[in-house]
Amino acid sequence: MTSSLCVCIASSELAQSLPVSFTMTKLLEWLFAVSLVGVAWGLVTFDLLDFQFPAVYREVAWPMPVYLLVVFGCYSLATVGYRVATFNDCEEAARELQGQIQEAKEDLKKKGLKI
Amino acid sequence: ATGADHAVGLGLVGFSLLLFTYYTIWVIVLPFVDSDHVVHSYFLPPEYSVILPGIAALILLLCVGTFIGIVTWKNRKSKKVN
Repeated sequence: MTSSLCVCIASSELAQSLPVSFTMTKLLEWLFAVSLVGVAWGLVTFDLLDFQFPAVYREVAWPMPVYLLVVFGCYSLATVGYRVATFNDCEEAARELQGQIQEAKEDLKKKGLKI
Repeated sequence: ATGADHAVGLGLVGFSLLLFTYYTIWVIVLPFVDSDHVVHSYFLPPEYSVILPGIAALILLLCVGTFIGIVTWKNRKSKKVN
């Protein structure tokens, strides 16, 4: 799903110039959002604009990238574990399939195929 | 899922919940708690909250690289024999 973004320069003198358009891909959207968040994080952690936040803000903000990675890892692990635990086994079908595999192997061995 | 699969799955869920809770308290809750509260004795100094995941990530990369190396080496060896 892409959306065309048309950037038209509004000022009167430049109105004669052609409108610039480019397609905003999902990658560009993500990079834009990530860089916004990254700039906000950098501002708070390194105090680049000299806001002089209370020390607690800096203490909470600076591990944020690592924290988000760890949280994402935990979520992935939990999802995988949950789906393994609630997987819908069909034991009868599994046994039937194993029996058919054995049958096929013996049949092919009889016909000369080396397995 | 039955037996071992079920147990392993639930174990993963439990472990990740534990890790999430401990890490969240360490990174987000502790800075708001007075430095002389007893709960601080259960947690390492906050610098380790970044260093330890960094080391874990390096170890993970090492394991992945080693696995790829072993598989590639075995593949090359068997190709040479054939």
